[in-house]
Amino acid sequence: MTGANGARRVVITGQGVVSSIGTGVGSFWASMRQGVCGVGPITNIPLQDLYITIASEVKDFDPRERCPSKPLMLADRYSQFAGAAAIEAMTQAGFQGRVENGERAASIIGSGIGGLITIEKGYEDLFILRKKATHPLTLLRSIGSSAAAHVSIEYGIKGPCFGTVSACSTAAHAIGLAYQMVRAGMVDLGVAGASEACITFGSMRSWQAMRVLSPDGCWPFAKRRNGTVLGEGAGILVLEEWEHAKARGAKPLAELMGFGMTSDAADMVNPDIEGPTVAMQLALKDAGLAPADIDYINAHGTATTVNDINETRAIRRVFGNAANTVSVSSTKSMHGHCLGAGGGVEAVACLQAMQDNFVPPTIGFDEPGAECDLDYTPNEGRAREVTYTMSNSFAFGGLNAVLVFGPPPA
Amino acid sequence: MDEVANKIIGILKKNMKDPPETVSLDTKLSELEIESLDLAVIVFDIEDTFGIQIPYNANEEVQDFATVGSVVERVRSLVGEKGAAGAAA
Repeated sequence: MTGANGARRVVITGQGVVSSIGTGVGSFWASMRQGVCGVGPITNIPLQDLYITIASEVKDFDPRERCPSKPLMLADRYSQFAGAAAIEAMTQAGFQGRVENGERAASIIGSGIGGLITIEKGYEDLFILRKKATHPLTLLRSIGSSAAAHVSIEYGIKGPCFGTVSACSTAAHAIGLAYQMVRAGMVDLGVAGASEACITFGSMRSWQAMRVLSPDGCWPFAKRRNGTVLGEGAGILVLEEWEHAKARGAKPLAELMGFGMTSDAADMVNPDIEGPTVAMQLALKDAGLAPADIDYINAHGTATTVNDINETRAIRRVFGNAANTVSVSSTKSMHGHCLGAGGGVEAVACLQAMQDNFVPPTIGFDEPGAECDLDYTPNEGRAREVTYTMSNSFAFGGLNAVLVFGPPPA
Repeated sequence: MDEVANKIIGILKKNMKDPPETVSLDTKLSELEIESLDLAVIVFDIEDTFGIQIPYNANEEVQDFATVGSVVERVRSLVGEKGAAGAAA
């Protein structure tokens, strides 16, 4: 069945997540409801001479348990995260083993950087340890399309299969592209999202050199905010044409209603107000919704000085008076900045907010930062009727992607 | 101006697209259109040149980076601390 504009409708029939505050949607959402903070001292790598020594690491992720197939078990941590999240999402959607009509399915799973742990290990072996060879799987583990390929192999997905790359908007772009493919009739099923696992010494050093990391915590929109905190994880959705889902007897969790993407074309680090504004407007227009319809915005909210003010202004510009009543939060305060995976992890937060009629909080909020004047749901989550949600992703380079979700079609 | 000041002004100019003829100790960094990312690059360059570490977070206003002279002073004191630490060791 088609929507008012004649397009096929796209529902979400499964979701999966790996994060510092929970692997699996159940534990992830329970943590979010309670405002659990996943940020802490880095434990997975030697700190050496780092002066930023905190991150939001995924703990207790056992690939043997989470990645049942051998190829996944031997893959880079970023692909393992993607595999685990995809398996959770596909299981919830009711798929086991290879899908029927694999040619009509897509696997679009991006990453900001790909298999960085593998790359760094390879260089250490070569340049520091002077080993005679790198591990034979170095190349396959490194490449940024390996997560998408692994998931296609797991499920016999034979249609479009690739990764997206757009820094912190990677997941939103992947989900948005899969959405457009399903809507356009190119495929009936899409597994989409992103994964990131780049808390390495080299990566920490390069972020440290940009001087944008906080030494003590991620407090978006708060007066005391002093930079972002790196996180890791994956967020994956199963998108499906509505009739296709119904025919299988699958239960839609939500409808993906709108997608907007723009580029600031201005500056690599300083965001522009125009790009994010228009991306939100395009997503609302695509969804056929007015700003006042949105109940909850999962903000990009990185806790850098510049992003949080710019995003607040852009929301005010798009939402007008409705900006005074919409609930906003940055769940990065809990799971950290998962970079490419952020939009996927945060899409799951939006879907759960709708399922549960509960807005997750922005934790660590002392008082509003200068020019941060929205309702950021400080410190404690809140029960609220949540029918429509928006997820913002704004990346370095000025790359903006916005998703709008609504209830499953009646 | 001494060697430290000259080196720092050289680093500033190197990282600017159209450096002005004269940069003095009183010149404000804001007048040089140096933004946060430029400053991260400049701080790196200074650290590399003098073998020091300069605490700097782009999310915070830092008085040490108001004028060229204040940067020079900060570097001079860090170089001094490093020398003292070296002597103690």
